[in-house]
Amino acid sequence: MSPILKLFAFPASFIIICLGILTILGGHITPGGGFQGGAMIAAGVILCVIVYGVNDSPIKFSHDFISAIESIGALGYVLLGLAGLFASGFFLYNLGADFYGIVPQSIVDIFHYPDLTNAGIVPYLNIFVGLKVLVGLSAVVIAFLQFKKLDLSEEIEEE
Amino acid sequence: MLLYLGPVIFGFLIGFILGTRIKSNPESNINFTLGSYLVVFIIAIIVAWQLGPFPYYDDIPIATGFLSGAIGLIIGKLLLGR
Repeated sequence: MSPILKLFAFPASFIIICLGILTILGGHITPGGGFQGGAMIAAGVILCVIVYGVNDSPIKFSHDFISAIESIGALGYVLLGLAGLFASGFFLYNLGADFYGIVPQSIVDIFHYPDLTNAGIVPYLNIFVGLKVLVGLSAVVIAFLQFKKLDLSEEIEEE
Repeated sequence: MLLYLGPVIFGFLIGFILGTRIKSNPESNINFTLGSYLVVFIIAIIVAWQLGPFPYYDDIPIATGFLSGAIGLIIGKLLLGR
């Protein structure tokens, strides 16, 4: 890629990633949410990977990092659901808001999201989905680019 | 003035996680030095100012989630992203 693109891509992806974080965090009161914000962050990472290449990219996702964040996202979502199931009898019950008044106040205080809305566990679910989506979509592009590199190296060996 | 801690804490956390993945590559012909990160951070402050108190958090007149994400990215890069 040209040096102009290389100078522009990383600062642009930095801002795109911050906008994705903002989209994830505003998911319970604005359009957007975990998936959309995660896709925006993945777009920033993919921009870097395409412009700089897989090996030279300033933002590098290793296999261990991708699997760890993917697992944290999925496990966090399920554990929040199970917490609702054990505390109230309903899977994914909103323990932080407790609209039916069936959970003790101490548990509500633990799961309450600290802002002016009474959103409960919804922002936490958005964050877990965002983490899962950002590494999932990035992993697809990184894998395809590595397959292409593998294919090219095989062609060179055949020649 | 009451600062809503939710977007500040979790924006910083997500930014920190991603910032640890930002690596410097000395072999590349374009290197981003500490000064370039400072410039990007100033641009991030301007963008956060232009966004205003998004999304409906009117505690301070900038987007706190955006700014804490930017701070998390830079601190994560400086601490763990080598």
